[in-house]
Parts: sequence; structure tokens; C-alpha cells
Amino acid sequence: MDLYLGQMKDIILGQDFLTWLWYKSDVTGGLFEDKGETFELHMEQRVSVQGGEGDTLETATVSGATSELREARLGLRTGKKVNRAQIRIEKDAEAWSFTLKAEDFSIGSLRTPTVETKLEEGDDPDAPFLEKMFLLEKCLSHLDAVYAKFLDLRFGTGWGEEVQAFRTWLSKNE
Amino acid sequence: MPIVSASVSLTRYRIVEDVPNSIWPEIVTLLKRFSFKEIEQTSDERSYGWVSLENFLDAGFRTAPPEKGEYLAFALRLDTRRVSPAVIKKHTLLAMEEAEKQAKEEGRKYLSRERKKEIKEQVRIKLMARAMPIPAVFDVVWNTSTRVVYLASTNNKVRELFNNHFTDTFELHLEPMTPYFQALNALGEDAQPAIDAVESTSFM
Repeated sequence: MDLYLGQMKDIILGQDFLTWLWYKSDVTGGLFEDKGETFELHMEQRVSVQGGEGDTLETATVSGATSELREARLGLRTGKKVNRAQIRIEKDAEAWSFTLKAEDFSIGSLRTPTVETKLEEGDDPDAPFLEKMFLLEKCLSHLDAVYAKFLDLRFGTGWGEEVQAFRTWLSKNE
Repeated sequence: MPIVSASVSLTRYRIVEDVPNSIWPEIVTLLKRFSFKEIEQTSDERSYGWVSLENFLDAGFRTAPPEKGEYLAFALRLDTRRVSPAVIKKHTLLAMEEAEKQAKEEGRKYLSRERKKEIKEQVRIKLMARAMPIPAVFDVVWNTSTRVVYLASTNNKVRELFNNHFTDTFELHLEPMTPYFQALNALGEDAQPAIDAVESTSFM
């Protein structure tokens, strides 16, 4: 398959981001900020790591509700990168979950806090839709804020230091 | 409406150019012009176009207007006829036998290559016409203040079809919100040379 420049960079940036996110969300206790609002973001239950290319492309998917996803961490140590992750965002008593694909940032199985779809007399018929969109966009805005934080680091002067801290984290989790 | 269901898969796009204000009063007219056309009475393999978000049988937007708050919401309907290759093979064999029999009766030894091709095509069309088109619906939500458009699908073929149909309808171009385009958007044009030159980080 021929990839245009953007697609090649999509894979590099997407995998670097998700790999970094695993470490970052672990060392910060999942705390991130979006326009002054604090929320929690965790990678959980299911993660895929990928390495090699062409015929030697190798993917390992590991899942476990409360496991430490040891096999996937082992993959990181052999140079694999995270190519798909299940992400959970929490804010106050509300929670969102979805899977994020590194190569194109497509979002799978996005679950938002529950929206009341039963309408009563006098209710705006568009209310459940508008409520759902509000919740979807809130979650995506949080995700974008974390990606923006990553980009600042990735294209800033502190990336080398960040990678060093990642290595320390990875070696501590043996 | 999959967009309001418990679990939804999404692809995000950003409209590349500035959206002209003249488009807003024309939205319903444009959606209707590029709306879904039924193929139940034909033998067409597929048909696609816009329908109402609330009711995929409504290609005239009579059920509800697409405007909802600051959003425009509608859906892409794609109907496809499918006939199993095994069924086509069986009916082609039957038709070939019949044609060979007829050819013999008329004193010919075999069927020409053109005739065989013709029979194959006739069988395919006949079976297609008998198959019911299978409908599929993908919700579309356009946030008019942020220029972000959501498609409730991550399937590559659906994405391509949607992208082209959106541009044909509104004469606006969509850029997928992938890691690369998100980086360009967040860091600005000045950062493009650095983004274009980015190499994979070695975390080991």
C-alpha cells in the first residue's frame, strides 16, 4: 500500500502519542487539564502494541480488567509501540470510554455518560441529541487537550528528557 | 440514530475552507438534491445519498429539519444488493447448459466467447434484480461553529464515499482529523517543516 506523507506521519505521531500516553497517564495518576478544567484519563483493560514493518510486522493485543498488561509492556521493551488503546476519561462522577487507533485517530465504541432519551410532554425533541453531542464533544475536547500537550513536548526542547523519563518508568515496571 | 446510542464509532473531519454564509439557507435544498434514491424497482447494485437523521425512509427531510441547535444533523444511507458468488456460479452453469443445448439443436458445436460473456452478465443482472437491497445508515453531524464534521463510521469504504458525497453536495472539502492534520492545526503552519520531518521516537 502506498502511503502519502501525511499517512506516514500519522502512524509515527499516533504511535508516539499513545506510547507516551501510557507512561504519562501512569506517572501523573491520570491527571490532565483542558482549558483550566482538571480531568482524569487512563489507559485500561486493552492495549495493542506493534513493531516491525512489512512481512515482519508484529502485533500483540493484551487485555485484562485489572492486570498490568505485562505482555504489552514487554513489547515496549523490544521496541514495539502502542497502536491501539482503550481510554477512559473521568470527570466528577461522569465517565467516558473509547478505543483510539494510532494510525488515524478513529474512535471506536465511544460510550458517554447516559443520556435520557425518553421525552415528556413539552420537552424539546432535540434535547437528547443536543445532550449527547455536548457529552461527545466534551470527551473529544479532553482528548485533543492531551494530544496538544504531547505535541508541545514532542516538538519542544524537552522531548529528550521526556523519553529519558519514559525509559526510567519502563525499567521500574519490570 | 446511532449517534445517540450507547456506543458509537466516529471519524472526525474539519472543513478546510471558510464556509460561505450563503450556504445556510440552501442546506435542505442541497441535501434533497443529493438525497438517497430508492433502487427497489431496479437491478442497480447500489445507491447512496442523504436521508433524515430521524427516519432513514425520509429522503425529503419532512420528518424533521436537519438544524438542531448549532448542528446540522442528517445521515448517509447506502443500499447494496449482494448475491452470493456460489448462487451466481450455479445459475451461470444452468444458463450455459441451456444455451449449449440450444446451440447443438441449431447445429453449432460450441458457444462463442462473446455469447458466454453475455450469458454471465444476463444471469448476474437477473439475480441482482431478485435480491433485496440491504440498507445501511451512517449518521452525520456538522458543528457549524467549529467546522467539525462527525461521521458515525470508521469503515474505509464508507469514509471515502461520505467524503466525496459531502464535497459534491456542499462544494466544501474535508480534512480527516488524523494525528498529522491535528498536529498542523494545533501547532500552526510554521511548524509544518518540523511535522513533515518527524521521525519515530526510539523509546527503548
